[in-house]
Amino acid sequence: MTHSTSRDRVLGMLRGEKVHPVPCFSGVGNVTTKGLDKLGYRFADVHNDAKMMAEAAVTSWELYGYECVVVPFDLCMEAEALGCAMNPYTETDELLYPTIKEKSKLTTEQIREAANPSLVTKGRIPLIKEAARIAREKVGDQVAIGSYTLGPFTLGGQIGELEPLLKNAFKKPDEMLDYLDALADVITIIGKELMESDVDFISVREMGATTDVLSPRVFRKIICGPLKKIAKSLPSPNILHICGMVTPILQDMVDCGYDAISIDSKTPLKEAREKLGPDVVICGNINPFSTLNTGEPQEAYNIAAQCVKDGASGVHPGCDIWPTAKPENIEAMINASKETAVE
Amino acid sequence: MDAAKKEELLKRLSQGVVEFEDDEVKEAAEEWVATGEDTYDAIFDGLVTGMEEVGRLFSAQEYFVPEMLMAADSLYIGLDILKPHMKQRDTNVKGTVVIGTVQGDVHDIGKNIVKMMFDVAGFDVYDLGRDVPLEDFLKKQLETKSDIVCLSAMMTTTMMGMPKVIEMIKEKNPNCKILIGGAPITDDVAGKFGADGTAKDASNALEEAVKMVVALKDLQKNS
Repeated sequence: MTHSTSRDRVLGMLRGEKVHPVPCFSGVGNVTTKGLDKLGYRFADVHNDAKMMAEAAVTSWELYGYECVVVPFDLCMEAEALGCAMNPYTETDELLYPTIKEKSKLTTEQIREAANPSLVTKGRIPLIKEAARIAREKVGDQVAIGSYTLGPFTLGGQIGELEPLLKNAFKKPDEMLDYLDALADVITIIGKELMESDVDFISVREMGATTDVLSPRVFRKIICGPLKKIAKSLPSPNILHICGMVTPILQDMVDCGYDAISIDSKTPLKEAREKLGPDVVICGNINPFSTLNTGEPQEAYNIAAQCVKDGASGVHPGCDIWPTAKPENIEAMINASKETAVE
Repeated sequence: MDAAKKEELLKRLSQGVVEFEDDEVKEAAEEWVATGEDTYDAIFDGLVTGMEEVGRLFSAQEYFVPEMLMAADSLYIGLDILKPHMKQRDTNVKGTVVIGTVQGDVHDIGKNIVKMMFDVAGFDVYDLGRDVPLEDFLKKQLETKSDIVCLSAMMTTTMMGMPKVIEMIKEKNPNCKILIGGAPITDDVAGKFGADGTAKDASNALEEAVKMVVALKDLQKNS
């Protein structure tokens, strides 16, 4: 199958086609300071303006040929739609990703009530769709436009306090399963809406349920079911992304039914490939900080080349790229992906 | 209290923490207090020994964060009962700590567990909470002249404030020790940031907190 554009390459790869050379892209935050400086924008200002968001999102493609345009840059979209307030940190000069400053603490019942078609008009969902539309105008069909939602457990930690959520995962699994099932409906509605706009692929980010935090047993008991429910209704191509160490739950992630999985540098890619076989689409597993921020270009090149040799279907960072990542490291990572033969 | 009774209560306290048996910890702590004896051993050889085992289970990946949180709850239940009856001791390891989660990060579970351990060990702890503006760490350190500043961050994207705080503090007070922790922090990151220490395991700061108290216990025993 020919892949004439970068968009064809990334989407084809996510659908399980063998793509050479291996695409180098991100389904999560990847805007850099160089991109923001080029536009004269402060990071804190791009989250609430569709045009600024779109302009910032296309910079990594324009500057480095990074094969993606991803909106938004923060993890607050669904929580805002459920009544939480975001802090974009406009009052500080520090470079910070937005956080939730006021939690709505909705109950399972309230979440079920909120999970109706009007949900997609809430918070910044219309703004993010508009950003995807503007981005499409800018890049046409050349490059894939991505977006993401949180997974149910991670979203639960955004709208409510994390500590009771974690304890109840252990103490009250049935109650928690019901709560996460309700959040899965919310995520499905939002994810479908994004995929029906100009978004080409979507990642579901369930980083709160990494094996660094929850046991594989709890993962299987309460996390997998709601993730499967989302995968059943979410249009393709989609990715399940969990950062941290996930080796013990790799097969469970695959069984959730997404087109691809995405892993972080804490999970060895070679081992993941050996464990999962040749057909599973695995994206990973560049360390965004030590490789892209503090590493040297040759090191970044070698790590990305190794990633391809180890069997990555797509070279992908383990988490959002920190904006001050060195441009020469991003370029080295992209070059290595292009120049390394698939074994 | 005879030796057999003491051993039984210590076991119930430590096992109660390991198995998150709040009622068991409460009853054993109350029984200990009723004997009128100093509660120092009950805290350190009972509750903290239990937490030590929890730390071991955590590093062996038998326990995860929910289990750690539940064990911490049990420990606090025991501590609230026992601490008012503990005779003050002069130890050479007591100190002052300023602790908080850096601005941009609203996760404070790891920080709270580390704080608990410092509480148990008898440190004076100033908890700045979560999402703390960077300059507030310096202000509090100067105000309290703390020996240690502990910084926490849960994500790669939120740890970048740490080197700024470290630089600010080290410039004013090079002797202040700075410990950093959180999921993305490794020895390498701690070194690059100029911190004095972190959790070796890097998955978070909990294990290191347990080790700190174990080390403190050893020092106290030898003092």
